[in-house]
Amino acid sequence: MTTGGPRRRHLGLPAAIAAAVLAGLAVAAAAAPLVAALLGHDPAGVDLLNRAAPPSPAHPLGTDELGRDLLVRLLYGGRVSLTVAVAAAAGAALIGTVIGLAAGYFAGRTDAALMRVTDAVIALPLLPLLIVLSAVDPAKVWGGLEGDPGGGLGRIILIVALVGWTTVARLVRAATLSVRQRDYVRAARALGTGHLAIMVRHILPNVASPVIVATTLAVGQVILLESVLSFLGVGIQPPAASWGNMLTNAQELIWTAPRLAVMPGALIFVTVIACNLLGDGLLNAYDPRLGGNARRPA
Amino acid sequence: MLRFAVHRGLQALIVLAAMSFVVYALIGLMPGDPIDILLSGNPEMTSADAERLRALYGLDQPLVVRYLAWAGNALAGDFGFSRVHAVPVEQILLPRLVNTLLLIGAAVVLALAIAVPLGVLAAARAGSRLDTAINLACFAGVSIPPFWLALLLIMLFAVALGWLPAGGTGALEATGLWDQARHLVLPVATLTLASVATYTRHVRAAMRQELAQDYMRTAAAKGTARPRALWRHAWPNATAPLITLVALDFGALFSGALVTETMFGYLGMGRLIYDSVLGNDFNLALIGLLLATVMTLLANLAADIAYAAADPRVTYRTGPG
Amino acid sequence: MGRLARLAAAVTLALLPAGTAAADDRHLTIGVSQFPPILHPSIEPSVAASYINHMARRPITTFDHDWALTCVVCTTLPTLENGLATRVTLDDGREAVRMTVDLADDLAWGDGTPVTTDDLVFSWELGRHPLAPYANIELYQRIVDIDVEGPHRAHLTVTPIIYDYNAINDLELLPAHLERPIFQDDPANYRSRTLYATDPTEPGLWFGPYRPVAVESGAQVVLEHNETWAGPEPFFTRLTVRSIENTAALEANLLAGDIDMIAGELGLTVDQAIAFADRHGDDFQIDFQPSLTYEHIDLNLDDPVLADRRIRRGLLHALDRQTLVDQLFQGHQPVAHTSIAPLDVAYDPAVPTYGFDPERAGQLFDEAGFDRLEDGIRHNADGDALRFTLMTTAGNRSRELVQQVLQAQWRSVGVDILIENEPPRVFFGSTVSRRAFDHMAMFAWVSPPENVPRTILHSSHIPTPENNWAGQNYPGFRNAEMDRLIAAIEEELDADARLPLWAALQALYAEELPALPLYFRSNPHVLPVWLEGVRPTGHRTPSTMWIETWRRIDRP
Repeated sequence: MTTGGPRRRHLGLPAAIAAAVLAGLAVAAAAAPLVAALLGHDPAGVDLLNRAAPPSPAHPLGTDELGRDLLVRLLYGGRVSLTVAVAAAAGAALIGTVIGLAAGYFAGRTDAALMRVTDAVIALPLLPLLIVLSAVDPAKVWGGLEGDPGGGLGRIILIVALVGWTTVARLVRAATLSVRQRDYVRAARALGTGHLAIMVRHILPNVASPVIVATTLAVGQVILLESVLSFLGVGIQPPAASWGNMLTNAQELIWTAPRLAVMPGALIFVTVIACNLLGDGLLNAYDPRLGGNARRPA
Repeated sequence: MLRFAVHRGLQALIVLAAMSFVVYALIGLMPGDPIDILLSGNPEMTSADAERLRALYGLDQPLVVRYLAWAGNALAGDFGFSRVHAVPVEQILLPRLVNTLLLIGAAVVLALAIAVPLGVLAAARAGSRLDTAINLACFAGVSIPPFWLALLLIMLFAVALGWLPAGGTGALEATGLWDQARHLVLPVATLTLASVATYTRHVRAAMRQELAQDYMRTAAAKGTARPRALWRHAWPNATAPLITLVALDFGALFSGALVTETMFGYLGMGRLIYDSVLGNDFNLALIGLLLATVMTLLANLAADIAYAAADPRVTYRTGPG
Repeated sequence: MGRLARLAAAVTLALLPAGTAAADDRHLTIGVSQFPPILHPSIEPSVAASYINHMARRPITTFDHDWALTCVVCTTLPTLENGLATRVTLDDGREAVRMTVDLADDLAWGDGTPVTTDDLVFSWELGRHPLAPYANIELYQRIVDIDVEGPHRAHLTVTPIIYDYNAINDLELLPAHLERPIFQDDPANYRSRTLYATDPTEPGLWFGPYRPVAVESGAQVVLEHNETWAGPEPFFTRLTVRSIENTAALEANLLAGDIDMIAGELGLTVDQAIAFADRHGDDFQIDFQPSLTYEHIDLNLDDPVLADRRIRRGLLHALDRQTLVDQLFQGHQPVAHTSIAPLDVAYDPAVPTYGFDPERAGQLFDEAGFDRLEDGIRHNADGDALRFTLMTTAGNRSRELVQQVLQAQWRSVGVDILIENEPPRVFFGSTVSRRAFDHMAMFAWVSPPENVPRTILHSSHIPTPENNWAGQNYPGFRNAEMDRLIAAIEEELDADARLPLWAALQALYAEELPALPLYFRSNPHVLPVWLEGVRPTGHRTPSTMWIETWRRIDRP
């Protein structure tokens, strides 16, 4: 297969903007307690006499259905949504990299077996499975998990990571297969370097770029997934705010206080689109041949 | 080629068998049998009632015994009764499966009908403003929460404009095909909009690869008309990777169908699985999940085989992946 | 096969000219948020099944709009006062009541077969059978004998004697001529073989003003006139009960005109209906019917801190429930003081109440030893924080809102609340029913009028592994006086003499607080302005019990 098209090594404007937007969102979310302190609002500070109030000096974006400050809630929600997304995507990338590396490097039977497992996981219908898993009694699995104050944060991260690693595994395997026969890898093997050392030192750096691209795209997907899970009632549980559950809860107020739905909806949209643009930009920068060909993990 | 297909088919069967156990065990991990739920809802039930009903439903057996019994029955073609609907599972599932396939099928056809011209256009004018616009629109399309899109469509077309029904399937009788079709419009549109974006990107990527090939440059040098070169030479070659990508997206499509079905009260598989899981309808949830697994497996299998058949560059040895 | 036929019918109908608009005046489409698991009246009873069943069948006795027990299928309610019920002693020495029940003689199943005492006997025998898949067979066991005297008269013997001996609401009549052979063939599989599951459109299953003519599982039930109905002719010729689970979509369907009304029994929550009324109040009749549904928080009394009555009282004093219901529900859901609703005859207006009094709450917590504040949270001398987990059903938006308000209110008096919600099947399936909640569990009880809370408050009904987790005394409340009062109420047949006992029970409940009362739910009925005759009850009898009186007022 010949290579065509211009070889770009820079991100491109849309991706650069996307990266800046994501960085801005992350900083804002990290600063949530600061903003809350500055405005003097508690994210759980219910004010029944001031429900769904319009923006005012005290509440720059108004209040939600329980009179809590919308801006503060959005920032705290951003912490949860972004944490879930980044942690789940990173977890999936970790599992996928290990499996992909092992499959690609050892090849043969190991490869065949691991890829069959991958096929099996891909064949699982993701959303129904997540619903089953969210209804699974933790006591039966972990012998009684202690309280999870993040409204089910840990559980969602774990579940998404456990079923979302297949894209990365396939990408890493393909890259590993092409790298493992290169001269420097053969040389290292001839010198008696251990498998683990070869994989970590010589192969991993060469497969890092597809992993980074896939993970960036996955972050956006998990944010969407979290909103869908919230819609189905199995997402992040209140009082913890996430953009997904804020959007779901605002469904009924769409006519009376559209602001409550528009804001989290817009933030989800902006974050996901920024992740996609950044992923696309990274992909082009690393490997222009694949432009826009990356698969969604969902 | 045949050997390749058979080999892949056998592998899929093994995966399916393993999955049946995993899914069975998972559903077994869900808490509370139906009797617990009845107990909590009905203050007048006694412990004797509970024990009587448990024995009646065979719920007093250990999980492994139940799995083996179930697997034996399933192999013999008996998939059990739906606890909630009180009819054999397949009687509920099959019509729902047809409905979902109708929804998904219509959405895929429509989405491709829109995505192919858009994607080819974008690829042919790569780097142009049009390309950028299509690209951005696609990113926007995949970035909207699907239930949110459904709600917006309902509000616009059913409530504000009143052109289309807000949900449900058409009434059983006294309504015509027209009415049934009208009920399909919004769910199909929701699912289509989400898929168009993904497919357009697939088409664009596949076409870009083809357009970069030597034969296309030759064609251009020979002065072959541009549209003709696009559709006669590049497009057929681009279909193989496209088929694969579309087939691999089946899982995502199925998840999308679940949300769409919930939002529109459409009687499909996705919602059936959701309801049966939450409603503790063990047999139905199990067979539903397995059926969804089978469909994804079949789609992947079809993708592999179609890819092998359509692309002469692929060898048929038992190449994994 | 059925699908093909349906498709063929659809094609045929599509070719016919559309000229049915005139008849639409007599069609009514009702939106509900749930589809019944099964239309059988006694297997897995659900609100949805009861709603539809009352259009097509009737109970022998029921509670009416005034919450009084009344005869429906029978002609006169048997009582000790009117002589139709008499005290007797059974051969084994047990005290019993023998009641004479006369079935109305103009009732017939949809296939023309008259409704007779044979149906009554069969229904009773089925319910008593060890293989009956019924959730609750207590009533069937309480009736120890039925002595038939002709096709319309039977004598029922009931033991033990309790005050609602003549309430046989739950003895649902089944058509013996259709269901008896099915049951006798294979009793163990009756649940899946009953015609109510396999062929619910069989006319012989129904004897009400309507009968189902089409059932699309999960989506809708279409009902039309039952020709054998001898009562008043219903106005609507066709009823469609359509299930749409997502309430936002349910609202959209109503606004789009795809459904005419949303049933109050299973439709919108009060806060949703209030938001709806704000925008469309002029276009619909929106009626908030207070109900017997008791929203409360069960406290796990095995917890050493919650075992202290001062803590429980402090918790209730710290809540401003009036503001909560005023602001969230515009006052449509009244504050509860005990488990007995103000609308219930058993209600005692003099029941002790706990007003919003944060100072008093603080004193009570101080007395219980939690007198030191650290980071705004109360601690005791051992350094233990006054901290509880509060659990409820995830995805129930109304409860989640209330829960967050409670958390904020308790927080302001130094009580820290951790919220831990679970999907309903986990919450009810194991956490609550096995008393696995650490401190607080928020949910609702639905009960008939003047219902003795035996399984909820009696010490013999605390779920344990030994009793196979039966009983609903989830707090683990043990109180000898409560046990005595429950038994005394059950045995007291004189309605007036029961009232002081009820008052004592409520006073004890308020004093001990085994659970924190929150409010009684209301059912918002969203009806078109042209619909007349819908009279909700607030108790378990749905408004469709009187469906034949529903009519359009803008049409002759």
